[in-house]
Amino acid sequence: MQHKLKVLVCIKQVPDSNAVVRIKDGIPEYDDNTVYVINRYDEYALEEALQLKDRNVTSHIHTISVGPERVQKALRRSLEMGADEAFHVHIDEVAANNPLIVAQTITQFAHNSYDIIFTGVMSEDAMNQYTGQLIAAMLQYNYATGVTELLLNNDTITITRELDARESMQYELRIPCVISIQSSINKPRYPALSNVLRARKQEINIIKPDMTIPIIQTHCYFTMPQRITQCHFIEGSMSQKVSKLYTILHKNAIL
Amino acid sequence: MSILVIADVKNRTVNPATCELIAAAKKIAEFKNLPIYLLIPFKNIGGDSYRSSELETYIVDLTVEQYNPCILVTHISGVINEIQATYILGLHTPFTMDYLPSLSVTKNAQCITQIQYIDIDEYITVIRGSHAGKIDQHCILNTTPAILSILPGSFEPYTINNVKNREIKTIPIPEEEKSVNCRFITKDMQDTSLDEAEVIIGAGKGIGSKENISLLYELAKVFPHSAVAGSRIVCDYGWLPYSKQIGITGKSISSKVYIACAISGSSQHVAGIKGAKTIIAINKDPYAPIFNVSHYGVVADIFEFIPQFINFVNEND
Ligand SMILES: Cc1cc2nc3c(=O)[nH]c(=O)nc-3n(C[C@H](O)[C@H](O)[C@H](O)COP(=O)(O)OP(=O)(O)OC[C@H]3O[C@@H](n4cnc5c(N)ncnc54)[C@H](O)[C@@H]3O)c2cc1C
Ligand SMILES: Nc1ncnc2c1ncn2[C@@H]1O[C@H](COP(=O)(O)O)[C@@H](O)[C@H]1O
Repeated sequence: MQHKLKVLVCIKQVPDSNAVVRIKDGIPEYDDNTVYVINRYDEYALEEALQLKDRNVTSHIHTISVGPERVQKALRRSLEMGADEAFHVHIDEVAANNPLIVAQTITQFAHNSYDIIFTGVMSEDAMNQYTGQLIAAMLQYNYATGVTELLLNNDTITITRELDARESMQYELRIPCVISIQSSINKPRYPALSNVLRARKQEINIIKPDMTIPIIQTHCYFTMPQRITQCHFIEGSMSQKVSKLYTILHKNAIL
Repeated sequence: MSILVIADVKNRTVNPATCELIAAAKKIAEFKNLPIYLLIPFKNIGGDSYRSSELETYIVDLTVEQYNPCILVTHISGVINEIQATYILGLHTPFTMDYLPSLSVTKNAQCITQIQYIDIDEYITVIRGSHAGKIDQHCILNTTPAILSILPGSFEPYTINNVKNREIKTIPIPEEEKSVNCRFITKDMQDTSLDEAEVIIGAGKGIGSKENISLLYELAKVFPHSAVAGSRIVCDYGWLPYSKQIGITGKSISSKVYIACAISGSSQHVAGIKGAKTIIAINKDPYAPIFNVSHYGVVADIFEFIPQFINFVNEND
């Protein structure tokens, strides 16, 4: 690498997998006691950035999250893990789930200031799987998605992207670029005590987005899932459930 | 106005599931009375066999080894302009999802991914899982163009009729753009234990730790010809090797029985279990999406239910 890399990592804060969501007046609503965490794929993305920092090839690692007040907890965690500075784009819950708005605001923030922008391959709640592609298209950067391996060369990055269980593709990516990270690439670290202490004192930068840019709004409404195969629920006390399942398996000659 | 279907690629050939896409496109085509065009994104991937297809077909003059999402986006955009495509459909696979969404920026289009159903009423409404698959999101296609990715396995494949004298149109790519040299890496899949098992026990993140997997091995023991497998998370955490991962980026199973234990049932996981004859799910969340695809459901904590079940079997056999 000619110069030290400026890196941005996009972090979405999402409800953990135990979260209970209901529909109230047509709008999805999480229970009050919902625990929010860093989107799992973004943790892998941050770890990948931090491994570059460990190798002393970066000048700084910034993290950015677009969403309501609560996302600052995820950004704080990113500082504890080792990011240098964190940026919170303050917008409401609904806008934070609209990839066009998110990509637009991240693009505005990032314009020509970063060499690599990392995202996760997918947000676990919205599951759009395309915010990274949008950012790349808006910035007109090269990009790769679903990346499971990354190797730094002189002025390119060799990436491996996963296609399916059997096949991956590998090619060279020129900097600046956007890279969306798939799980299995690394093992995210636990924050070191020194970083936790440093992060405690650090300010999180708050940014007001420019929301005047017109965005195509898709009209959506939500329902509880339609059951595809009528699932037969085995009811009763725990011991009744046990014996009923046994009977079903026995009748079907499985047990 | 028209519909553009972009063929997916699997093992460096046209993915047969492209016919599912055409089925989805047909639904829109009949309602809107629009012609469907097929685009094969590479040459030498078997696209020539579409020479006499009833659909007007384009082939991009690139080999898969020259893959670069940005080149594809530029030239597919050109086709979209030429045929004035208002609905652009691709398969929701890592291959196609790499470049399909970028078209929404160049075409200023709405983009909706991972679609499982298309409802036609007064409008076209596409339905996808949202909030980690816990609820359904219905999106009304009120503006065009619309870029849509269809989840594999959601539509019955359409059988393409043959016609005579149809020429495939080639989309030329300037030589200087063809520079990227892409290599393909194929893993050999030696572990065949999941192909042979009659009963497969699936471990999900709710199992909590590597040690706890032993509970599922105990459960597997009560069935003859059984095996333990898991969700991707379980493999990511190192609780099981990747050769035991079930799903779109893992194995597809076709066992007699699949018992999903503390697995939420994400669409990526479910893509690999559709071949199982009987699906049983044990999950403490009654709204877990796995129940939507299961034949039998037990709402319970696996750490209570499974030990009692093992005891019961041992006492009654
Ligand atoms: C491109 C791509 C490809 C992917 N490919 C695959 C793939 O091939 N295979 C795959 O599996 N995933 C794949 N994934 C990941 C997938 O999206 C999900 O993250 C994953 O399947 C979730 O695994 P899980 O169900 O074990 O965990 P979670 O979603 O966290 O679910 C855990 C479940 O356990 C339940 N639970 C917790 N504790 C208990 C208990 N004590 N008793 C009973 N129930 C309990 C919870 O209610 C919850 O439903 C892919 C993702 C992407 C983006
Ligand atoms: N609100 C957000 N704030 C920051 N990053 C986001 C946000 N939404 C999505 N992303 C990034 O985009 C990736 C893909 O998200 P999605 O397209 O929603 O599946 C995530 O893994 C994040 O890295």
